[in-house]
Amino acid sequence: MSPVLRTALFGTAVGLALMAGPALAATIKVGVIAPFSGPFATAGQTFKQAIEVYQAQHGKTVGGDTIEFVFKDLDQANPAQSKALAQELIVKEKVGYLAGFFFTPDALAVAPLIDEAKIPCVIFNAATSAITEKSPLYVRTSFTLWQASVPLADYVHKQGVKKVITAVSDYGPGIDGETAFKTTFEKAGGQVVDTIRMPLKSTDFAPFMQRIKDSGAEAIYAFLPAGPTTLAFAKAFNDTGLKAAGIKFFGPGDITQEPDLPALGDAALGIVTSFHYSQAHDSAMNKAFVAKHKELFGSTQTVTFTSVGAYDGTHLIYKMVEATGGKSDGAKAVDAIKNLSWESPRGPLKLDPASRTVIQTMYIRETVRGADGLINKEIAAIPDQPDYGYKGGK
Amino acid sequence: MQTVYGIVIDGIAYGMILFIISVGLSVTLGLMRVVNLAHGAFAMVAGYLASYAVQAMGVPYLVALLAVVALTVALALPLERLLYRRIYGSANELAQVLLTIGLTFVVVASVNYIFGPTLKRIPLPEFLTGTVDLGPKEIPAHRAFVIVVGVAALLGLWGLLERTDFGIRLRAAVENPEMAAALGIRTERLYAITFGLGVGLAALGGVLGAELLPLEPYYALRYIVLFLAVVAVGGAGSIFGSAAAALSLGIIDTAGKYLYPSFGEFFFYAAIMIILFRWPHGFFQGKSA
Amino acid sequence: MTAAVTKAPAGATAAAITAIPPRPSRAFRDAVAVALIAGGGLAAYWIFPEDLGLLTRILATCLYVLSLDLVLGFCGIATLGQAALFGTGAYAAGIAAVHLVADPILLLVVGGVAGGLMALATGALVLRAHGLTLLMLTIAVTQLLQELANKLRWLTGGSDGLSGVEPDPVLGLFRFDMYGRTSYLFALAVLVVGVVVAQRIVRSPFGLACRGVKEDPLRVAALGGSPRGHLVGMYTVSGVFAGVAGALTAVTSGIVGLDSLSFTWSAEALVMLVLGGAGHLYGAVVGTVAFMGVHHVLASTNPFHWMLFIGLFLMAIVLFAPGGITGGVARIAGLVRRRAP
Repeated sequence: MSPVLRTALFGTAVGLALMAGPALAATIKVGVIAPFSGPFATAGQTFKQAIEVYQAQHGKTVGGDTIEFVFKDLDQANPAQSKALAQELIVKEKVGYLAGFFFTPDALAVAPLIDEAKIPCVIFNAATSAITEKSPLYVRTSFTLWQASVPLADYVHKQGVKKVITAVSDYGPGIDGETAFKTTFEKAGGQVVDTIRMPLKSTDFAPFMQRIKDSGAEAIYAFLPAGPTTLAFAKAFNDTGLKAAGIKFFGPGDITQEPDLPALGDAALGIVTSFHYSQAHDSAMNKAFVAKHKELFGSTQTVTFTSVGAYDGTHLIYKMVEATGGKSDGAKAVDAIKNLSWESPRGPLKLDPASRTVIQTMYIRETVRGADGLINKEIAAIPDQPDYGYKGGK
Repeated sequence: MQTVYGIVIDGIAYGMILFIISVGLSVTLGLMRVVNLAHGAFAMVAGYLASYAVQAMGVPYLVALLAVVALTVALALPLERLLYRRIYGSANELAQVLLTIGLTFVVVASVNYIFGPTLKRIPLPEFLTGTVDLGPKEIPAHRAFVIVVGVAALLGLWGLLERTDFGIRLRAAVENPEMAAALGIRTERLYAITFGLGVGLAALGGVLGAELLPLEPYYALRYIVLFLAVVAVGGAGSIFGSAAAALSLGIIDTAGKYLYPSFGEFFFYAAIMIILFRWPHGFFQGKSA
Repeated sequence: MTAAVTKAPAGATAAAITAIPPRPSRAFRDAVAVALIAGGGLAAYWIFPEDLGLLTRILATCLYVLSLDLVLGFCGIATLGQAALFGTGAYAAGIAAVHLVADPILLLVVGGVAGGLMALATGALVLRAHGLTLLMLTIAVTQLLQELANKLRWLTGGSDGLSGVEPDPVLGLFRFDMYGRTSYLFALAVLVVGVVVAQRIVRSPFGLACRGVKEDPLRVAALGGSPRGHLVGMYTVSGVFAGVAGALTAVTSGIVGLDSLSFTWSAEALVMLVLGGAGHLYGAVVGTVAFMGVHHVLASTNPFHWMLFIGLFLMAIVLFAPGGITGGVARIAGLVRRRAP
């Protein structure tokens, strides 16, 4: 058989199988790509646990179809590997939905695949605004750096701070955060005296601290991806005496995510962050969420923003399956949830039909000592924040 | 001026950590001709043990530091007997690289299994937190401590190698192993002791440096390039070479990050290239101990 | 740092020699090897139709490891900077695909030329050194290139990766599809061509002279040859191969990431090569298939099981089978042959 003919026949066979598959099968698979090993393993773990909490609360079936999650490990930002995993999930596992994605590059890499396979991709975390511009099939239940930084810049300005220095990790989300903060803060009349972009791999932050000290800023806006580096940064801020010198510390809430708080210890006290979720959020739904988590996994130490990202993402997947009756129709599925409003453990949510990122309340929080350990205490709420960065907030 | 002073102090602290860990590698490479890529793994194991001792068992920091160094050496010596002894000598370079990478993988996997993937800390005692006033700049007490220990290690090693009988034998064996053996120096025991010394220094650096090189399971792979760089620049087997290399690379890295933060490790590796072009065998020619 | 690590790895050399039993003619064995690779590749296409994505990456990696064998196995150059050449090819092809041309074969040429030029430029500089100094220099080159690729975000996409690599159909006929069928067969064809060309090169007078340099550089110099010239020459050839492998990866996966310029990627090539056995081309293929195949199975359950396994395996290879998999097989075959008269 000639290769052409064979390829053609083969393609038709697989294509038919794929088209027919989800419609007939009673099981709809969701492929989750996230770090389950390595330094960022906690993020993958929170995704998985939140999905299990959701399924424990809402069952595993939608309209007769069983929803099954397939997990793939991607320990670090690696776009090529992300794409390969997604390809395997689509071709071999025949998933109807992709989900997860802790890092921006990993989420961006799958755009051509979800377009070709016509399946929706629900982003549980990756927070660069540009992602959802790359394909109409992206939906995001986390937040964007713009979303967190614009209200924070306004807040910082209202506190009477005039001179700020920004220090961000040198990659997509960091640059988003820097741009969002700088633009907003300067528009409000403040001054950003210097912008530092730190390599992602940095472990020794002393030179940056020296630069912050020399800049004469009253406050710092910092963003690093949640995890080991953040921890080292916050500690360096403390150890080099910047905190003692009275420099205020602001940033998106990654820096004080709940799983890191015990390790941060007193270094975290007084850091003011803006974020969409705090485990200490006071609502019946959040209490139920946290309680169920405790019931299933024995501890709530890891419940954090990535947990609600996955929890609400799972909710959207359920809604999309419901809307399409289990058939594989990515465009229809995403259309069905545009404009959807719902209540989440973090507060009220609404999907923005344009950016397909959730519109949500941003909370200004301060890290304080609670009854059992450190918590992120909400001190102000700024409702209905859209993704300011979608298509050029720049 | 204050800024320059600050950069230099920070660079020296960073360099001292690099020195303490790398000089062990330099000594084993210089004497036994072993490219020991598992060197970072020993530092990491020590760090994890110290973290466990201080956090879970409540052992005081300094006690834990000494106990962990001894324990790591005790754990590593059987490895010298079983594995390393088979691959001594310059003819086995590729075998050395593979065996020690293999060993590193095993250590990484085991550490992850036992201690989990998350970052571990070694809580500092009261007297090492806060800052110390050093003239124009306050520096973290911990860094000051690291600098002091680094200087002590440098002087101690120098004394050991230049002023003791052991040192004379060791240097003889470095210069000419066959001749040393012919003169009745028991090179096997000498090798074991030197290996232990190298591991002990790695352990010391791993515990002290945990604040700058954070403990996570990939530590052993992530930083080995740094340690190799110091040895290559300093010249294998040279203590003062290692010190000079570690301090200059530490200061270059710190200064580069201060002046052009976003260029990351650019200056570090550019400096290595330039130095190695100028001195292909390292600062101190790699012969003298 | 002088005598410490300057010598070529004698263990590997011995294995390379024992691994080539003087039985059937060279040309015949080379042809058999090529047929085995092509046949095995086609068989895999039928047996694992759902894993073509992974298989394509394995094929491209085979070519990459093969490029390392050319310098390590045949010239005795211990390098930890092969990813610099691979990544250069990958980025060159990726950037060309986004801005200039879309023909996949032309893109491979672009990658090969870029890899070769990078090898020529850096090889002329770093190959003066030996041992640890050479290792460090090659690492430094790779790190600098990675830093550069990260900084040139407008051109390379930085840490987001270079996406938008959408090559035209191969020969204008076969479109690159999601299932990876075209990619796989394309990669297999490139690998087979690569192996044939590599065979020719190592059997050529130039290739033999390189072996001579590896065994005894002084004698080559005494005979009027230029050891360093040969090394730089072979390093450049290796750069072409690595560049093509990088371009192949870029073309078939449609994306180039910073990891293609990482130290880890260089180290993995070394591990795969020695696993298979250095110094006779096929070890590169065997080692890569074994390494990536086992990795895929084990890592999908738990990546740390994989690390434990590969770690123990590497140590066992060094201690018990210094010629790698192919060396071990050859030794067993030799024993069997001697037993059966």
